Amino acid sequence: MTSMTLDLHEDESRRAQKGADRWLIVGTILMGTLVLGPLGLPVFCRGIYLLRKAQSAGLSVRPMMVTLIGYVIILDAAINSIGWGLDIFANHALITRTIFTAWGNLMDGGYFWHYNELWIGGAGAPGEKAWIIVCIVVVFPMRIAAAIGFLQMRRWGHQWMIVTCWFGLIAWMGYILNMTMYADVRYAGVAFPVLGWWLYNIFYITPFLAIPYLHTVNREIFSD
Amino acid sequence: MTAKPPMSEQDRRRRRALIVFQIFVYGCLIAMFLIQLQMLFVKEW
Repeated sequence: MTSMTLDLHEDESRRAQKGADRWLIVGTILMGTLVLGPLGLPVFCRGIYLLRKAQSAGLSVRPMMVTLIGYVIILDAAINSIGWGLDIFANHALITRTIFTAWGNLMDGGYFWHYNELWIGGAGAPGEKAWIIVCIVVVFPMRIAAAIGFLQMRRWGHQWMIVTCWFGLIAWMGYILNMTMYADVRYAGVAFPVLGWWLYNIFYITPFLAIPYLHTVNREIFSD
Repeated sequence: MTAKPPMSEQDRRRRRALIVFQIFVYGCLIAMFLIQLQMLFVKEW
């Protein structure tokens, strides 16, 4: 690396960070739509590649762990919000009535039996609606806001990431305990009971993996 | 990349406690999975 002044170094770093973030944001938005996921992944990977390149060139960019955790949390919240948002607000749309019930019939009877038969519409499994509403109204918006602050390396972003990751733990423990209590009913008559459900959902239920990192990362790198 | 600052004893203990707690939480999730798996073997779905 050629020697450069501090100002020049900061300018270069900021430009590299912005360039990488542009790819990372577009990739995450594409993957967040669920159906465009295969298009979003290579775009996201290019962002990661640019960030790594800037890092090894000695520029001051955001640490890789912060970048990965922040974007994955946004992605997790976005993907869940789309599916469950449709279940609440568009449960009589043709796409919801066909895709959701077909998917339910495949691996989760909670989205097949008595679908659209409660007063509120959508999934009719016991307790399911309560978890859906608390997640898309409280947990996921909070999670996306926290992750944005976290990616901007703000103090409040770090603090709220800790809050939202603990909330994620409560939400998923509660959700899985709830569905297991009547699993004998929920899986009745579906094509791939238990194994199909766990294979599909295992990636959703692990956002609290970041908790030890968040509690032990050097807090001074996040500014007020 | 700059070298990581050494982790304090307090942080080390905190991280260990959090990892132990996570093992407990994952244990609970695995228990739920095993309960469902047991149903898979005995029920005629």
